[in-house]
Amino acid sequence: MMLVLAAVALWAAGLALNLRLANGPARDHATTRLLVPLIFGATLIGIWELCVRGLGVPRVILPPPSQIAQTFAANLPLLWGDFTQTILKGALAGYVIGCSAAFVTALIIDRSPFLRAGLMPLGNFMAALPIVGTAPILVMWFGFGWQSKAAVVVLMVFFPMLVNCVAGLSDTTAMQRDLMRTYAASWGQTLLKLRLPAALPFIFNGLKICTTLALIGAIVAEFFGSPTLGLGFRISTSIGQLDLGMVWAAILVAAIAGTLTYGLAALVEKRMTFWHPSQRGGR
Amino acid sequence: MKQTWIAATAALGLASPALAADDVTLQLKWVTQAQFAGYYVALEQGFYEEADLNVTILPGGPDIAPTQVIAGGGADVIVEWMPAALAARENGLPLVNIAQPFKSSGMMLTCWKDVGIESPEDLDNRTLGVWFFGNEYPFLSWMSALGIATDGKAEGSVEVLKQGFNVDPLLQRQADCISTMTYNEFGQVLDAGVTEDELITFKYQDQGVATMEDGLYVLEENLSDEAFVDKMARFVDASMQGWKWAEENPEEAAMIVLDYDETGAQTEAHQIRMMGEVAKLTAGSNGALDPADYERTVETLLAGGSDPVITKQPEGAWTHVISDKALD
Repeated sequence: MMLVLAAVALWAAGLALNLRLANGPARDHATTRLLVPLIFGATLIGIWELCVRGLGVPRVILPPPSQIAQTFAANLPLLWGDFTQTILKGALAGYVIGCSAAFVTALIIDRSPFLRAGLMPLGNFMAALPIVGTAPILVMWFGFGWQSKAAVVVLMVFFPMLVNCVAGLSDTTAMQRDLMRTYAASWGQTLLKLRLPAALPFIFNGLKICTTLALIGAIVAEFFGSPTLGLGFRISTSIGQLDLGMVWAAILVAAIAGTLTYGLAALVEKRMTFWHPSQRGGR
Repeated sequence: MKQTWIAATAALGLASPALAADDVTLQLKWVTQAQFAGYYVALEQGFYEEADLNVTILPGGPDIAPTQVIAGGGADVIVEWMPAALAARENGLPLVNIAQPFKSSGMMLTCWKDVGIESPEDLDNRTLGVWFFGNEYPFLSWMSALGIATDGKAEGSVEVLKQGFNVDPLLQRQADCISTMTYNEFGQVLDAGVTEDELITFKYQDQGVATMEDGLYVLEENLSDEAFVDKMARFVDASMQGWKWAEENPEEAAMIVLDYDETGAQTEAHQIRMMGEVAKLTAGSNGALDPADYERTVETLLAGGSDPVITKQPEGAWTHVISDKALD
């Protein structure tokens, strides 16, 4: 009970500190902007630790963060191998193939209204396929290695990327397109000079959504057959051993990887679409 | 959600007269099939009712770990394999075996004969499909007993694939051998048009590395509660009656299982065959755990090679208190 009270006190302290920072004189300072979410996260982890210990929650239901950190630190080489297998091979390969294919398809659709009528429903159909049904089939086709995981990721990321690219390519006004015509610009020139730059916010939106989808796809696909490494393999195997510390350590790896890739995509977007209203700091 | 529901039923139980039947929730290790016929028979034939029990049977599945269900308070007793139960025990969930309806293990490795496999030594340098989720330990122990590593295809080592619970990797020849249960996947291979002559199987039981399957486990803390012990003794007694009835009437037992299969996924022929095979495994068990089998299981697990499932000799992982009481 003491620990639970400590958790409440910690929450109150974290909240008070954040309120002071957010309303204080340095509130627009870069450091403060970074500190506030960090304090919030640290408070959450602290509350988790204290509540799990204080309420005597069994370790097999929810291990305390300290145990997860311990398992994580003790198994770094193992988790690195899993990370390489799932993220760098399965998810990344599928992400690159899927997103490029979607982009090329979007260009084709853009050129021909006839193909738009046929390809969009197909893309939609692909998106509606349940991963639970496709993953075992793809394992049968492409084997147990990372290739089948990449195939699952391709199926998952293709449609969201396609929709975003198609929407982006049509995001110019008639006036802008007419101007290009008066310059006697070809379709390719119009694409490069006007429509692709205009489409970038949409394309990056698709890329950001697909980072997390690729991660989920690669991990879940490993549940249906894998070599003896990979994040999905680790999670499903460790659950069977009730080694929840390891399960959460693998989840932590996935979370870090997901956050980093999303952040990377957002950073590139910031650099490339600095002209867009959403990217202006307003200061 | 489930916990609050159980708490609510418990509260109702306290409020109702003491004459009411005791509630028991049983969590199965896998989906509804003849592997659990004894429990369904006991329910259908009223053996539980005679024992003054109100039993709820929860089917499992590929994503359900019975050990987690019992830890979360979702069941009073679970059907589990000894390796997973001992691993859970070492990870801080004190499970105790109270009865062992299965005398023998049904797990085996099924291989193509035409790739040149005749004896376990021929498994070297091949690709083998293995189940994980707690079912990989007997395999790993067996490999370490054979002196074969599991780090990829090479001399003195095998490539291990984590196979799903289907037989495609063998049929597709993605693997030279796959894990099968005598009563389930082996039949699926035969159903796919493969004849027994084309296959060679190694039973873990024959290789001396079998681990105990489908025992009944409860949480250790409950065993100090006299009422719970009495309830479980009646449950084990009625369940064993169900098992013996199923052994004697395999076809009827399979039909009872089919009635309880809400998914509609099981077929009559498959369930009748399964019951026939399961009956061979339950034969020779009166419900009481045989300490010799337990010793062999622990020995197999402790020899689990580089990544042993348990690191130390378990203490108090089984008890005869309940099965003795049930057999009186």
